[in-house]
Amino acid sequence: MSHRIYLLPPWIRIWHWTNALLIITLTITGASVHFADPNLPMVPFELATQIHNIAGLALTAAYVFFVVANIVSGNWWQYVPKPQGFLTRCLRQMRFYAWGIFRGEPHPYPPTPEANFNALQQIVYWFVMYILMPLLLVTGLVFLWPEFAPKSVFGMDGLLPVAVLHYLVGLVIVAFMVAHIYLGTTGHTVTSLFRMMVTGWHEG
Amino acid sequence: MFIGPHRRPLGVAVFLLTAALMAWPAAAQTKGAAPKDPETVEMVSKSNAECLGCHTQEALKKPPRPDMDLAKLGEALTDPGLYDASAHAGMACKTCHVGGYREYPHAAPAGAPPAGAPPANAPKIAKAETLQCDECHAQLTFRIDAQVEKSVHSKNLKDAFTCSTCHDPHVYKTAAKLVEPVKIVAQDNGMCLDCHDNDVRFAKFGGTLTPKKARPDIDAIHMWLPNAKRHWESVRCIECHTPPATTRQLAVSHEVLNKEKAERNCVTCHTQNTALRTRLYRYTAETQAQQAGFLNSALLGNAYVIGATRNTYLDLLGLGLIGLTIAGVGGHAAIRILGALVRRGRKQ
Repeated sequence: MSHRIYLLPPWIRIWHWTNALLIITLTITGASVHFADPNLPMVPFELATQIHNIAGLALTAAYVFFVVANIVSGNWWQYVPKPQGFLTRCLRQMRFYAWGIFRGEPHPYPPTPEANFNALQQIVYWFVMYILMPLLLVTGLVFLWPEFAPKSVFGMDGLLPVAVLHYLVGLVIVAFMVAHIYLGTTGHTVTSLFRMMVTGWHEG
Repeated sequence: MFIGPHRRPLGVAVFLLTAALMAWPAAAQTKGAAPKDPETVEMVSKSNAECLGCHTQEALKKPPRPDMDLAKLGEALTDPGLYDASAHAGMACKTCHVGGYREYPHAAPAGAPPAGAPPANAPKIAKAETLQCDECHAQLTFRIDAQVEKSVHSKNLKDAFTCSTCHDPHVYKTAAKLVEPVKIVAQDNGMCLDCHDNDVRFAKFGGTLTPKKARPDIDAIHMWLPNAKRHWESVRCIECHTPPATTRQLAVSHEVLNKEKAERNCVTCHTQNTALRTRLYRYTAETQAQQAGFLNSALLGNAYVIGATRNTYLDLLGLGLIGLTIAGVGGHAAIRILGALVRRGRKQ
């Protein structure tokens, strides 16, 4: 490798893997509950519900930690898309994923301690972490304590919009997770970004 | 109940039936059905007014006669408002309460010791009797009888457990009449909780057993059930505490199961082919099969039931989104591998 830079402090890495484990657990148990069917090989409903409830609360706690730690450490700035040349940087990054990566071109914006994320990462991570995650957690908590749901909406049970929103947001987050894991293979080597998430050192 | 173990000798049954038929205006009614013609309705109304002159809370406060046994009367009160809304609304009291109930003071019920030795030349008065449910509901009780005998109630309480222990005939409404699940749930769960959430009433039955049975804490024994209170507002206790019905005529079995035998498999309800469709929602499910893509949409007016009320369009959208994402990254990865192989080939 040409050089290594230390990018990720332990708290980010611990939070990241905790979050990853919880999201995978919630995806499996959530699907088992949503598509519950005695003929399908899924986690038994009662067990899936219990695990989903506990993992959901743990995810909420992890998210609160993430927000507080981001504020305290100043890491929140990494997620804010910087306006100057933002569109150009997005287009260059998209061109790289759609073309350059197949030709073995170098990353257009390699990470630095000051700018961890490229422009696409910034906008997507910002949307996922500060829009989708709160929506997912709030709807999940209302599901857990349904007395906070509206009694009725358009003549239907008030939990219906909560359930639909929880399901849709969960779907987008699962799709994001699939793409996120795949993009983890696009580093200097196929495994270098995964190693970075363990050691904190970026290999470029 | 009034079924198997309670059968009286045929002669008594014939006598009671004859007495019932003789009791005007009850005799003017088709047995088991409220009258329709205005003349009979008027007569039933007048006849019932005589009974309700004493058998109401108001009358107990201001007894119409000075010689009444108020303690006894207090145990035989009826709420006319509830009765008029019940399944037996419009029926004459004397359709079921026969014999000595036609006179006041009412003669002692059959089998009860006489209050005092009557003079030898006293006119014979028919005994006051309340007809059993199967006098009218013979076909129904014939089916239910076998189920009741297998229920935990009959096994424990034997003959002390009757139809009216749960179904107060002056109040009870049939599910077919109530239709709305929320009303059915409120009534039916109320019947269970009358005893199972009431120490005094539970002791009336549990206290007669050997050894005496103390009332289990209803919340504690349902701790395993997520959102137990929400379940109790949305479904009946009998959804889990009875086995599936075996005949279409009977939406629910009367074989009430104890906690060891009760349903613990959540997926019985929480799935596409939810049992709720043929149980609590049997009167609405067929008319509202699937609306706007929601499975079992009839349930949605009262409850979002995870697994049962999901939307098929959104499910397809979800599977499509995840499928496309996997296909997208798979295709991308394949082109990357191909590109790497081509570059390696060129270098060599």
